[in-house]
Amino acid sequence: MAVQTRLRVPKEAKKGEVIEIKTLATHPMETGFRKGPDGKTIPRKILNSFSCTFNGKTIIDCTLEPAIAANPYLEFTAKVEESGTFKFTWTDDDGTVTTAEQAITVT
Amino acid sequence: MRQMTRREALTVAIGAGTAAIVLYGSDARATPDEAKEAIAKFTGGKTAEAGKITIDLPEIAENGNTVPLSVVVDSPMEANDYVSDIFVVGEGNPRPGVIHAKLTPASGKAKVSTRIRLASTQNIICIAKTSTGKLYTNQKLVKVTIGGCGG
Amino acid sequence: MTPKGNKAAGFKSASVALAVVAVCGFGLLQASHALAQGMQRAAPKADANPAASKPAPLSLDGSAASTPWKRYSGWPKRDESRFNTLAKLATPPAPTTPRKITTPLTGDAANGAKLVADRTRGGSCLACHVLGQAGGANLPGNVGPDLSEIGNAGLSDERLFNYVYDARVYNPKTVMPPWGSHGLFNDKEIGDIVAFLKTLKSPAKFATKVDDPNKRPDPVETRDNLDEMVNPGMWAIERAQKLFATKTASGSSCVACHSDPKTAFKSWAAHMPAWEPRLGKVLGVEEFITRHAKATTGADWLMESNENIDMAIYLRNLANGEPIKVDVAQGPAKAAYERGKALADRKLGQLNFSCNDCHSPDRAALHWIRGQWLGRQKGQLDHFPTWRTSLNQVWDIRRRFQWCQVNIRADELSPDAKEYGDLELYLAAENAGQKLSVPGIRH
Repeated sequence: MAVQTRLRVPKEAKKGEVIEIKTLATHPMETGFRKGPDGKTIPRKILNSFSCTFNGKTIIDCTLEPAIAANPYLEFTAKVEESGTFKFTWTDDDGTVTTAEQAITVT
Repeated sequence: MRQMTRREALTVAIGAGTAAIVLYGSDARATPDEAKEAIAKFTGGKTAEAGKITIDLPEIAENGNTVPLSVVVDSPMEANDYVSDIFVVGEGNPRPGVIHAKLTPASGKAKVSTRIRLASTQNIICIAKTSTGKLYTNQKLVKVTIGGCGG
Repeated sequence: MTPKGNKAAGFKSASVALAVVAVCGFGLLQASHALAQGMQRAAPKADANPAASKPAPLSLDGSAASTPWKRYSGWPKRDESRFNTLAKLATPPAPTTPRKITTPLTGDAANGAKLVADRTRGGSCLACHVLGQAGGANLPGNVGPDLSEIGNAGLSDERLFNYVYDARVYNPKTVMPPWGSHGLFNDKEIGDIVAFLKTLKSPAKFATKVDDPNKRPDPVETRDNLDEMVNPGMWAIERAQKLFATKTASGSSCVACHSDPKTAFKSWAAHMPAWEPRLGKVLGVEEFITRHAKATTGADWLMESNENIDMAIYLRNLANGEPIKVDVAQGPAKAAYERGKALADRKLGQLNFSCNDCHSPDRAALHWIRGQWLGRQKGQLDHFPTWRTSLNQVWDIRRRFQWCQVNIRADELSPDAKEYGDLELYLAAENAGQKLSVPGIRH
């Protein structure tokens, strides 16, 4: 049940432009407050953090709580001054790290 | 990850009309006081002034399972004056925390959008912290709709 | 179950498939002869176009859903067999005269205030009526009149009691559930409700504008249901495309006959459901998938399985933009349409609602039941199968039918019930001209 990620990042932009980035990761985001059919509490298991860097510099760094809906969607912006690569990282409560990358040409 | 099997999905929500509550599964709700506590922890006890923050949330959410939230803070986002943190809590979920986003001038805009869960009708409170040490706040009431029959 | 010498299974090349047709020779004649045995591989054609070819091979045996039908776990377990379903009549006849009751009624108004807001009693009075401050005046509905001042209306205890007990004695055409005669409230409880109604003497004070159902703006669906960042239902398409090309144990796959589904199915789903003479019933897309897959590749994609739903989304999505147009002009299709139309007017279940009671614009449609908007028939089919945000799963139209029934406290049918076929055909005819936009996204 590996996390699948989806990205929407422009392929090109002008120098200094503020671009919109949309990301999605498939994950049930089990809150830890639910009881299963046997009456026992289902343990919490969520993606508890998400970060995006551009050429190594932080664009956004989020702590996610169980209040984030399943299949967490995160939309934010980035100001690009040069060509490079966005790196996206999601971390599960169990330590599993999922990453994705997307390059952009800035002129 | 594949979409949950039908069997798995069925255990997720027992009755569409109570899905939000079942997803949280707890009758214990955070109180506005707990939300205040979480905010105080974030602000270090300092008071935040109203303003600068636009919160986009539906007036009535069709259910509490997935509610679109967008927060935009008015800021130049320059090296000498930018929003460093956007902090969101709810007053009516089992725990108050929703999201804490750290930003930099490279973010371009002080904006974050996501989808959240609401256990019930409640206030969503947002605090923004700037690099110059200022704190701003805004909040919005979201009604979670009540189903007509079973949902 | 690969015929000897046939290497066409899985091939996408038209020329090779044509050669294989020559090799096979018998083509559909053999296929139709063997249909009665269930699993039979259809003769491969370069690009079987559903519009041009002979009737598609179908497995004619047995049920297309799991048998015997067992209600989904997690759904209410009520047995409502003493009331009408779409398949059988059982509801006791309506009384014709009001009951004589001992007046004055003494009831507990405080308990009445709780009962009118109690959602576990079949939705509660607040689902359809504004009732002063009952339930905190929190998103009441407006299917029925505002009763906030009914305590001033000068109605007798007997009238109030009987209206709640069984409104049909005053208005045979009412959509109000027979709360008493169908056993939803007992006499004591109705007495409490009457006592509460008599206290209602001033207009409701709503906390916010949206609580007032007459001021609440009509909901408008603005989400882009075809954006995979918005609608997880869209992820089914990639899964279905893989499934389409995956060989089954028989060594065959859908692409063996359908090498270009995008062209072949450009409008197919817009003309479903359709009357199927070999089965003597209307087949929707989902049942068609079950029976056609079984008869061709041997795949076992029962209705309501993940594979079936994914494939139904895919095949309907391929016809997006096409206006729904089903054949109900004559013969058995017309008869099925007429049956479906009658079924949409049949009172069902303990709450005694017909489909059209809620979904016809001359009755409750375009009103609020509690905080939910009742849509009319037109616009209810073009987005199915639909992703349900409240449940994180996709529902096809048959499951939607089933849930409606269970919620009005009627027993549901198996997803492949012929009555559902008739009903879906009627609904499709009411949706003629609506352009498909699948998968949908809804609450």
